[in-house]
Amino acid sequence: MELYVPILVLAVLAAGFAIFSVSIAPFTGPKRWNRAKLDAYECGIDPTPQPVGGGRFPLKYMITAMLFIVFDIEIIFLYPWAVAFDKLGLFGLVEMVLFIVTVLVAYAYVWRRKGLDWD
Amino acid sequence: MRTFIALAANPDYPTLEDFGKDPIWISIIKAVGIFVLLMLGVLFGVWFERKLISRMQHRYGPNRAGKFGLLQSVADGLKMALKEDIFPRTVDKVLYFLSPVIIAVPAFLAFSIVPFGPMVTMFGERTPLQLTDLPVAVLLVLALASIGVYGIVLAGWASRSPYAVLGGLRSAAQVVSYEIAMALSFVAVFLVAGTLSTSEIVRAQSVGGTVSLFGMEFSTPSWFVIQLIPSFLIYVICMLGETNRVPFDLPEGEGELVGGFHTEYSSSLKFAMFMLAEYVNIFTVSALAITLFFGGWQAPWPISLWDGANTGYWPFLWFLLKMVIVFSFFVWVRASLPRIRYDQLMAFGWKVLIPLNLGWILLFATFRALRIDEGNRTLIMTMLAFVVLACFLIYMRFDIVAQRRKREQEAEVAAEFEELGNAPEAGGFPVPPLDLPHYHGVQRKEVSSGTH
Amino acid sequence: MGETITFWVLAVVSVSAALGLVFSRKAVYSALMLGAVMLSLAVLYAVQDAPFLAAVQIIVYTGAVMMLFLFVLMLVGVDSSDSLVETIRGQRLWAMIAGLGFAVLVALAVGNLVVAPPTGLAGATQGAGGNVPAIAELIFTRHVFAFEVASALLITAALAAMVLAHRERSRPKPTQKVLARARFLSDHPSPLPGPGTYARNNAVDMPALLPDGSISELSVNRVIARHEAEEGGLPEDPKLAEAIRQAVEEESK
Repeated sequence: MELYVPILVLAVLAAGFAIFSVSIAPFTGPKRWNRAKLDAYECGIDPTPQPVGGGRFPLKYMITAMLFIVFDIEIIFLYPWAVAFDKLGLFGLVEMVLFIVTVLVAYAYVWRRKGLDWD
Repeated sequence: MRTFIALAANPDYPTLEDFGKDPIWISIIKAVGIFVLLMLGVLFGVWFERKLISRMQHRYGPNRAGKFGLLQSVADGLKMALKEDIFPRTVDKVLYFLSPVIIAVPAFLAFSIVPFGPMVTMFGERTPLQLTDLPVAVLLVLALASIGVYGIVLAGWASRSPYAVLGGLRSAAQVVSYEIAMALSFVAVFLVAGTLSTSEIVRAQSVGGTVSLFGMEFSTPSWFVIQLIPSFLIYVICMLGETNRVPFDLPEGEGELVGGFHTEYSSSLKFAMFMLAEYVNIFTVSALAITLFFGGWQAPWPISLWDGANTGYWPFLWFLLKMVIVFSFFVWVRASLPRIRYDQLMAFGWKVLIPLNLGWILLFATFRALRIDEGNRTLIMTMLAFVVLACFLIYMRFDIVAQRRKREQEAEVAAEFEELGNAPEAGGFPVPPLDLPHYHGVQRKEVSSGTH
Repeated sequence: MGETITFWVLAVVSVSAALGLVFSRKAVYSALMLGAVMLSLAVLYAVQDAPFLAAVQIIVYTGAVMMLFLFVLMLVGVDSSDSLVETIRGQRLWAMIAGLGFAVLVALAVGNLVVAPPTGLAGATQGAGGNVPAIAELIFTRHVFAFEVASALLITAALAAMVLAHRERSRPKPTQKVLARARFLSDHPSPLPGPGTYARNNAVDMPALLPDGSISELSVNRVIARHEAEEGGLPEDPKLAEAIRQAVEEESK
C-alpha cells in the first residue's frame, strides 16, 4: 500500500497539469470563427461525409490485436518464469519450451496463412 | 547460484525493503522533482534535438531565442498556448478533449519506478533516490504503455476524420506490435537479475559474476548490455518503434497521413500534450535502457575507480549523462535513417524481432540451466542440440524455398528479356524504334547553345 | 485506513463506470467505461497486496482485450442496431448454465474463507521470497498442466481470429512491375494531370485546365463528379459543368 502512495502523488500532479493546460487552452488563445477552419482536415477538399456508425475499416487490425493478446499472455507467463528460473531449473526450462512451441504453432499457422502480411 | 546472493550487502544500494518508508512530504518532494525534471527535460530535449540534428546537417539550428537558442522551446510553448484552440465541428467533444490527458498522464507515471541514484540523505531522511519501487516495477511500465495506447486510438477516433482514424489505428497497431518484442527483450534481464524491481536490477549489475570455462575463472562484466547484447539490440530497435520515432515514425508520416492521429489537433496546448507525451515516452524508454542494460545510475568505468562515485547525489549526474547519450542516439538515428514502409515495419516486428527474441531467450535459458544444474548436463546438452537442429532444419526449409523463388524469378526475368529483345513492342512499352538515326552515331557535329 | 478510503472511492468510480457502460448510447463509450471498471479492479488488487495480478489486469484486460474491443467497435461500426435473434441455438440456456456454474464457484471460494481462516497474501508469499516468485512457483509446479493447457487456448484464439477476420487473396497482389505494365498498356501511361495544373484553385475538386484553357476531362474527380451530378449541385461554370457531366456519363458506360 505504501509503495503506491508516491505513484498517486505523481499521478495527481501529472493529471492536474494535463487537465489544467488542456482546459485553459480556449481562454489563452484568440477566437476567430471560420467555417473552413472547423472542418475536418482533408487537404482542402470538403470533408468526406461520415457514414452512420463511423464507417468500416479493414478487419486486418483485429488479427494484430488478437495476436497481441496471445503474445501478451505468453509474456505474462514468461516474466515470473524468468524471475524464478534459478529455482525451477531444468523442469522450468522444459515446460517453457513446450509452452513456447505450442504457441509458435499458432504463430506459424498465422504466418503461413499470410496473416502477418500487411497490404 | 543467484547473482545477488553474492552481492556484498552494500547499504548504499536500495532494495525493495527500503521503499514505502518515506514520510508523505518526502514523496511529494520527489514527485515534484520528477515532474520538474521531465518538464525541463522536454524543453531542453526539444532544443537539444533540433540543435544536434542541425549540426549533423550542417545548419545552425535555433539560435535566435536566448543564448544558443536555448529559449526556443519556451517560445514554442508560449506560441502554442497563445494559438486558437479549435474544436472541429465533426469531433466527439468529450473524447477529443480527454485523449491528450489520457496520453500524457501514463507517460509521466512511468517515471515513478526509474532509479536515479542510491540511498541519499534528503532533509535528514535517509531515502532512495527513486520515487517508488514495486515487485513488478517493469510490468508497471508496460501496463502504463498499454494505457497510453488508448490516448492514440481515442484521439484518432474522436477526430472523426479519415486521416486521423487511419493514423490512430496504424500507430496503435505499431505500438502494440513493438511492445511485444520490447517486453520479450526484458526476459533475459530478469533471468539474470532474478527480479522485476528496478532498484534490484541496478543492484544486480553492481558486481559481475564469474564463469568457469575449462577450469579457469573469468569474471563477467557487470552491465547486462555485455552479456545480453542480443536482447539489448532488439530493445534498441523496439524503443524506436514504441516511441514512434524515425525510422518508425509512420503514425506521423506527413506524406501519407498528414499528421496521423493528431491531424485534427492543429495547434494549441492540446497538441502540446501530445508532443510532451512523445518526448516523455522517449525519456522513459531511454531510462529503461539505462536501468536494465547500462547499470542504471552507477558510474561508468573510468569514474567508477573513484570510491565516492556511487554514493550520495553523484550517481544522479551519471544517470543524466547516460540519458543525454541515449537521447543523442535517438537524434543520430533520426538524422541518418529514412522512414520505412508500413508493411515492412509490421513484417519486421512480427516476423523477425519476435521469433529471434524467443529463440534467444530459450538459448540463454538453456545456458543458464547448464550453469545451475550440474547434474543434468548431458540431458540439457541433448535438448540444446535438439533445439539447434530444429532451428537449423527450419532455416534450411526457408532457405530452400527462398532459393527456389529466386531461381524462378531469375528465369522469369530472363524470359521477359528475351521476349522484349525479339519484339520491342511486345511488352506494350513505348520503345523508340531501334533504327532511329541518332542510335547510329552522330553524323554532324552538334553546336552547343552556350557561349563557351 | 488508506485501504478503506481507496475501496470506497473506487467503489463509487467503478459502479458509476459500470452504470455508464450499460446506459451510454455510443458503443465506444461503453467500451471505455468497461476499461475504467477494469482499471479500478486493478487498483483494488494492488491495494490488496497483489501487485502482479494488478499489473496483469491492466496489461491483459485494460490493454490487450479492451484494445481488441475498441478496434472491433471502430472497425465494424456498431452504432447500427443489433438484431435480437439468437444466432446460436439455445444460447440462453447455456448462458444460464454458465452463470450458475460461476455462481457456484464464487460461493465455493467464499465458503472456503468461512471454513478455514485466511492466511493473508503476505503470509502466503513469504516462503517463496516475494509475490512474483511465489506465483511462479505455483504456476510452474503445482498448476503446470493448467499452464500448458493455456497455450492450447492461445492457439484457439489465434485460429479464431484468422478464421473470422482473415481473407486470403484469391490472386497474388499486383507488384509495382505489374502495375506499371498495366498503366503502359492503358490509354494514358503518364500520370493523370494533377489538380491545379493551369487552374486557379489548388484543390482536388477543381479540374485541371489544359494550356488552351479548356478543362482536362481526365482530371475530373469521378467521385465528386458523381456526387455533384446526383445532388444537382453542378457548378455555374458551363465548361466545368459539361466536363463533370461527361465524366459521369463515361463512368456509367
